[in-house]
Formats: sequence, structure tokens, C-alpha cells
Amino acid sequence: MAVKVLSPGILTSVQDGGRTGYQQYGVSPSGPMDLRSFRTANILAGNDADEAGLELTLMGGEYQFLSSHVIALAGADMNPMLNGKKAGMYKALCVNAGDVLKLGFAASGCRCYMAVRGGIDVKPVMGSRSTMVGKQFGGYEGRKLQKDDVLQVKDPGSAPAHPETWFTDPVQIPAGPRTLRVIMGPQEERFTEQGIHTFLTSEYTVGQDFDRQGYRLDGQKIEHKTDSNIVSDGVVAGSIQVPGTGLPIIMTAEHATVGGYTKIATVITADLPLIGQCKAGDRIRFEKVTVEEAQEILAKEAQKLEDLKKLISDPSHLPEPEQEEAPVREFEYTKDVILTINGKAYDVRIQKIKDAE
Amino acid sequence: MSETVIRPAGDSSLLVEFENEISLEVNSKVQALKHTLEKSPFEGMGEMLPTYRSLLVFYDPLKIRWKQAQEEVRARLGSAGKVSLPKAIVTEIPVCYDKEYAVDLEHIAEIEHKTEEEIIKIHSQSDYFVYMLGFAPGHPYTARFENPFSFKRMENPRLKIPGGSIVVQLGLSDIIPFDQPCGWNIIGSTPVKACDYRKEDPFLLHAGQWIHHRPVSKEEYLDIKRQVEAGSYVCRSWEKED
Repeated sequence: MAVKVLSPGILTSVQDGGRTGYQQYGVSPSGPMDLRSFRTANILAGNDADEAGLELTLMGGEYQFLSSHVIALAGADMNPMLNGKKAGMYKALCVNAGDVLKLGFAASGCRCYMAVRGGIDVKPVMGSRSTMVGKQFGGYEGRKLQKDDVLQVKDPGSAPAHPETWFTDPVQIPAGPRTLRVIMGPQEERFTEQGIHTFLTSEYTVGQDFDRQGYRLDGQKIEHKTDSNIVSDGVVAGSIQVPGTGLPIIMTAEHATVGGYTKIATVITADLPLIGQCKAGDRIRFEKVTVEEAQEILAKEAQKLEDLKKLISDPSHLPEPEQEEAPVREFEYTKDVILTINGKAYDVRIQKIKDAE
Repeated sequence: MSETVIRPAGDSSLLVEFENEISLEVNSKVQALKHTLEKSPFEGMGEMLPTYRSLLVFYDPLKIRWKQAQEEVRARLGSAGKVSLPKAIVTEIPVCYDKEYAVDLEHIAEIEHKTEEEIIKIHSQSDYFVYMLGFAPGHPYTARFENPFSFKRMENPRLKIPGGSIVVQLGLSDIIPFDQPCGWNIIGSTPVKACDYRKEDPFLLHAGQWIHHRPVSKEEYLDIKRQVEAGSYVCRSWEKED
């Protein structure tokens, strides 16, 4: 059970649900930049939500399956083609040995997730299969994938009964400005009233400097009361640091565990996937919510994934997947004939298709 | 003494802040609370990240909400008795102050109105205490108890500085384990690795110990670097004298 990389795309890495327990040694959680799409892909492939899969960035690349697998794609639409034919996203795909999946540039969004039933089998480092791309450990040899890498897949056991019933509605990635909901602080009081007003009312643009560690934004400068230095303290995914330049930096999956710049606010966990789907030039606005609201939103998000899991484990109440309709054809002439084969008569209609070669 | 403050750091962690200073006394409160929470964790509690003067406590908001988590932590603040500091070990860190690596040494000497030799002596004559690890795997945050330098970090961080860099500001001196962005002045470079994934315990230093910088020539730097690559170099260490 394996997948071969024919062409790796721009930045493809192995990720699982993330690395926990080592932040006190300076090891950030890593894991997928868009956890919601990642988990959706896994569930649709019949996996545990946090099983190791692939994160594809901006351009997907080309992959050959060396045995038959059930896979699923979710996140940014990179126009996936299976053996030259358009392949669906947000549904289980059954692929055979030798099949080639090719993905192009992301039409909208930034990251697409490929889950393979069973999960990518790499050696866990500090309890996780996630690649820490910036620090070169974990995942597949601590690096992004290269041409001719062969990824082993864990044996999922017997073939699933009805993977064709494993599908869900695609998540639309907004084309216009994204609104990220934030909880103010922890260093909110280090900014002037004007500074906080600027932060919450102006539009920011993702600059050229965005990666798995963080996103630097361009736009209106945020005013500090005095300066941007604090005694270094803990940073989380979604922390919005404002250094002396006055321009915000959103910390993401491979963020530094601690930092010495003032943090004006923290993006709520449910909106972190929106950042993971941003690339240079995308516009961002911030909207203030309370911790209580953020936790309520997160609970609802979690419930959606639980519902999807239930649908897949018991698909009996799903509507039948739509059958492809027979193509409408025009005919030049019709003729009914009686054919006799082995003494039995058959009424056969012959129709010549118009424009057919 | 100011009151201990508990603030949300997003929807999945809370920040317990002690007095706003870098001192052994304040840091021991951080360690004491961490120790207490480790001994009696609350339902839904995750990992903890101790820093100079604060403790970040992660929790699962699907299991416990912010208000309850805050109460659970506050309830343990009172019982967080003093813990004895770890046995004081000093680890020797060889540092090359050659201009090739110490790209900001000239600049530092200029702002401090001292010669480069004097700056090297100031940096290497006193030991630094390791308060915490963070930022990058194995990255120690170390400090001493007077400020030998007057400058802070730069306004705009450099996008990349090489692993092994020794960076300073005020009374702080850090070892940068891997190439990374950094806004501090670079005073030198060490050939030893603060984090080596080939080892069972990848981390050279641990919170609560001391480090001593020993100036080495470029020749010795390169020699130690070869031994580090071969996995044969062991840093000298000894017990701290009071």
C-alpha cells in the first residue's frame, strides 16, 4: 500500500492532527493549516479525523497510487484530474493501482488536503507524524515531498462496503475579504484606543511573506501606547503580534512557542482555517467576539464533523447519490427490424445518431 | 506585590501572569503553579508553557469553558507552595566571537562605548540562568541579574539568522538552535547544538540550570563543530558554586 510522488507541487508535506505536549521545550504544534478541511478529508476517506495525510500548497502536483486505495480531497480546489478525467472533491474516490492523480494551481484558497484510507505511514517524532517544515523534522524525512518519494500507507484492513455514499457539501472559500473573528488580548492594553480602532475597522492584505509559521499583513499601522516589547511569553496559533512596525503578524501552525512582541488579539480556533486558505493579496478584516461566543462557535463546528462521521458510519439515511443522466441524442433515422437468432425472433430498433462519426 | 492576573489567550488557553519582571523569585512562582497543576490537573486541561513570569495553560473548550477553567486555576494558585529550584548545573557553551559570526559585535561596542574585547569579556565573565525553553525547539531563554548591555531588540526583525547564533539584549543572552527570524543583536556563534534530533533527549539545556560562555578561536570553533557533527562532542558541565 503506497503512493508515489511523480511531481511534488510547490509545498506538499505529511501532516496529522498536530504535536502536543512539547511546547514547553519550544516545539510548536505544527499540523494542518486548515484543520477543518483536513479532518473532513480524513472522515470522507474513512479515517480517524486526525490521521496522517497530505497538505498541498498553492499547486498540488502529481501522484501515482501503487495499489488500490480509497482517498478523499478537501480544501482549495486544485482542479484534480484522475487519469486525465475530472475527479470530485469532498467525496470518497476509489483508485486502482497505477492510477495517477494530478492537481494544478488553486483556483481559490491556498491548501488542499489529500487523505488516504489507512493513513500515511511515517515514523512519529515526539508523538506526531506532522512535518515541521521550518525546523526540518517529523513527517517524511523532515521535509516537503520530492519527486520519486514513495509514501507507505497503513493497511486499513478490509475494503469498505459503500464508499460511494461518503460525500458532503464542499466548503466554499470566499473570494472577497475574509472576516476573522478575534478575542482581544492578552496585551490589548498596550495599544491606544486609536490603535485598537484601526485594527478592528481597517482592511489588511496578506503580504508576500506568508507560510506555515505566520502571515505578515500590510495595511494601516496599529498604534502602541509606548513600544512593542513585552517580557517574552507564550504564543498560540492565531496570536496576532504587532511589532514596532505597527503591522500585524498572524501566527499559524508552525508558530514560535514564545515571543516578545505585544499581541493585540487572538483569532478564534473556528476561523483559523480561513487564514490557512489565504495567500498573498487576499484581504482580511477583524471582528471582535467574546471568549464565550468563540467557544460556542467552536462547539458547533465540532458538532458538524461529528454529524459527518455519523453519516459515514451509518449511510442508510443518506439520499442516493445522483445517477448520471443519459445524454440527450438526436437521430437521423429510425428503423425497426425483426432479427431471428437460433430460431428465436427479436424486435430490434436501429437508430443512426446525428453527427456521429 | 501585584495581583496575579488570568486572561484568555484565545479560546483554548489562558495566561496566568505574575509580576512584570524577570527574576528568580517571580519565575519560581511560575514553576510552583505548573508543579501544582501537574499534580492535580483539572478536567479538560492540556499542556502548559511556562515562561519568565507567566504560565500558559491549554484546555479543551469542548470539555471545559473559559470561566470554569479560570476558576480551576485560581483555586490552585493559593495552594501553589514554594518548590525547591532544580539542582544548579552549569553547562559550558563554547562561543566564537570572530567577526565572521559576530556580525553585530562592532555595532554593540559602538553603542556601549567599549572595545570589542571588553564586550566579549563582559558577555563571558558571568553565568546566565536558563529560565525557559521556547520559540524554537531547545531554544534557551537565559538571563543574568544585572544588565551588562543597554540596548533592546531591533525595531524590525531580520528574516533569517543562522542556527548557532548567540544573540543578546540587556541582561539576556540566547542560543539560536536553527535558522530563524530574529530581532536581537548577534554577538557570536556556538558550534554546539541546542537541539539535536539524533539524540534520545534532543535538548541540550533545561529550565532551571545555568550556562557559561567560553570564548574560542575560529580554529577551535571549527574543530568542535566537526566533533558535534560526528556526535562525539560533550559540553563540560559542573555544579554551580553559591
